[in-house]
Amino acid sequence: MAKIPRSFRLLEELEKGEKGLGDGSCSYGLKDSDDIAMCEWNGTIIGPPHSAFENRIFSLSIYCGDNYPDVPPIVKFDSRITLPCVNQQGLVDLSRVASIAQWRRDFSLENVLVELRREMAAPANRKTPQPVEGSEFPPLDIVALGKQRRA
Amino acid sequence: MADSPPGITAAPHEDNLRYFDVTIAGPGQSPYEGGIFKLELFLPEEYPMNPPKVRFLTKIYHPNIDKLGRICLDILKDKWSPALQIRTVLLSIQALLGAPNPDDPLANDVAQAWKEDEKAAIAEARQWTLKWAQ
Repeated sequence: MAKIPRSFRLLEELEKGEKGLGDGSCSYGLKDSDDIAMCEWNGTIIGPPHSAFENRIFSLSIYCGDNYPDVPPIVKFDSRITLPCVNQQGLVDLSRVASIAQWRRDFSLENVLVELRREMAAPANRKTPQPVEGSEFPPLDIVALGKQRRA
Repeated sequence: MADSPPGITAAPHEDNLRYFDVTIAGPGQSPYEGGIFKLELFLPEEYPMNPPKVRFLTKIYHPNIDKLGRICLDILKDKWSPALQIRTVLLSIQALLGAPNPDDPLANDVAQAWKEDEKAAIAEARQWTLKWAQ
């Protein structure tokens, strides 16, 4: 089995993201279109219908380190949200996101966003009151955090 | 590669023999002359039925190469043939450096500049070569 290197994997993900995913409820792209290392990404999730998240667009920052996809990305909500897998800083604890808790190399940024949206729609979370729309978590240097985790 | 053409090297990664570090020397009489450009090449599972994946890691000002190093070259896409070798692919990329084609662009702003003022675009390409490809 050929093991696709990080860069070509991320290029594939970028092309898929540029074409638009599934029903359009999740999207992602490079933060800077000329970031040749493809480290920093932006994502959005549209809140699922019939939930406290409905009609809201959630913005996320994503960092894919040198060892992605062998290790998961660092994912942070920029938009304030109340979910069990998201801490007070907005950082996502992927080990608390049901179907991707055990990270696998073939998981993608799309999987992460789709599964986070599924968390929002989960029976335990869908009625959780949410922070004021438009409020944001304080900024956090996820690049530094990623490098720290590696060290 | 044992029989690399002049100005081209390709070495597989120790932990992934389908993944190569490549260097290509800019061809003479081009604004890339004197530059050594780094690329990466990967042979996907479907190779040789599908083409290898290649991109520039060194920044380069060229109408057929975009900001992420992606290359617009027919043999890497619809004109791929399983009979083509890695060596041919790398030679074709080197040839592309010597013969930019602004009518089939990937980097639209660069192609535009190339068409409007070729002399200035070539000067810019030479500057980038000096800045990034040494």
